Amino acid sequence: MEISAERESGAVIAKAAGRIDSSNSREFHSGLEAVLADDDPAVVLNFEDISYISSAGMRVILMTAKSLQSKGVKLVLCSMNDSIREVFKISGFDKIIPIHGSQSEALTAVSA
Amino acid sequence: MTTTESPQKHKILVVDDEPDLEPLMLQRMRRYIRRGVYEFVFAHDGVEALEALDADESIDMVLSDINMPKMDGLTLLERIPDVAPDIRAVIISAYGDMKNIRIAMNRGAFDFVTKPVDFDDLKFTIDRTLQHIREWKEALSARDKLVVLQNELNVASMMQQSILPNKFARNDSYKLFGTMQPARNVGGDFFDVIGLSDEKVGLAIADVSGKGVPAALFMMSSRTLLKGAAMRAGGPGEALSEVNDVLNEDNDACMFVTMIYAVYDPATGVLTYADGGHDPPLVVHADGSSTQMPVTDGLALGVLPGFDYLQHSYELLPGDTVVLYTDGVTEAINAEEEQLGLTRLREAFVSNPPGDAEDAGHRVIDLVNDFAGDVPQFDDTTCLVLRREN
Repeated sequence: MEISAERESGAVIAKAAGRIDSSNSREFHSGLEAVLADDDPAVVLNFEDISYISSAGMRVILMTAKSLQSKGVKLVLCSMNDSIREVFKISGFDKIIPIHGSQSEALTAVSA
Repeated sequence: MTTTESPQKHKILVVDDEPDLEPLMLQRMRRYIRRGVYEFVFAHDGVEALEALDADESIDMVLSDINMPKMDGLTLLERIPDVAPDIRAVIISAYGDMKNIRIAMNRGAFDFVTKPVDFDDLKFTIDRTLQHIREWKEALSARDKLVVLQNELNVASMMQQSILPNKFARNDSYKLFGTMQPARNVGGDFFDVIGLSDEKVGLAIADVSGKGVPAALFMMSSRTLLKGAAMRAGGPGEALSEVNDVLNEDNDACMFVTMIYAVYDPATGVLTYADGGHDPPLVVHADGSSTQMPVTDGLALGVLPGFDYLQHSYELLPGDTVVLYTDGVTEAINAEEEQLGLTRLREAFVSNPPGDAEDAGHRVIDLVNDFAGDVPQFDDTTCLVLRREN
């Protein structure tokens, strides 16, 4: 699973594509860890190209959120399709990780 | 089994009764022996060769003459699989002796070289044989790993099935039914029915993150914790808060479980429930229309210690059927990669209300199977049904 990263206004924007489920969640995790640098002050995870995320993928998001939080790094998510947004709502994950409609809103939120 | 690129010494057993092959082989192959690529050991007939193979498991291949006293090379070929099934043999035959070469190949020889031996060709043949053996062993090791994985999945599956209630108390005022169809790679769904005081009954449905043995273990502890909390706690909200706090202790793996826990009071028909970040239950009314039970704004358990789980109440009318389900139902995938979705689930009951609790449960599973067709499903499909009788 390829994860791209670009840096903009003091945040790293990470993007993955396709389905995230138990068959590739480990790869997703290691890929995500690889693109995040220790000195990134904020992380935006862009879901634009992700079509589906299973509970195994949600677990990776949770692990990443907790590890970033312990380092004082902000994490926000953005650009989810409706069904993924619903998964975050039902599971209550949107209570602990901020979700924004677009990447620019997400960047504004982390730079605030 | 190592797959590193670094040169690995290969042990080759040379079997020939003629005394001149041994020094010749050592002389012509000395560069490779010195570099640690090959190590040669020698036997002088088939019997000695079998003894050597039996005693030394590190031998990778056999290079054997055909005509030898005691046991010839063709007989040796037949016997090798008994002592060393993963060994490959190369036969040295007289030039043009097609009859014996055919027999040797039919008996499983990997290749042959002819006399007088061309040592460049022999080197090439040995390397090709060793390459084949390496690939064969890698395939075996991959297969062994798959077998181990399959065994683990079987354990997880047994753990999962063993905790599910399969008999449901019969009762005049309400009926229960639950069923789970496991995914091939074993998800972590479970449901439970817990007898409480004052004729009340606790109903739980849950879905643990991930798959396989880790999910099964987390499922077991979630289920046990809930059972204890259900019996002690004042209500579903308190029960989920208690389970959540325990699950958050030492949860470095960030496992979580989504869950609905509800308590039904047959005296009043009221279902009191708390939401642990799970799909809201669906109430199918006697006329086939349905209502999603209002969610209580919950959070998956194991995520945030100290989270306060609220509880809500819903009064069932006689003939109302509550369907608790996991996302294996609504996220079932068909050949067009569409999800089944809540709308199709609700439509399944429109103008065709369930006859009883069991009928409702079977119809949910049938709906998923008809929708999915031959497409293998990623997740367990689970539902637990409560029906208030007339």
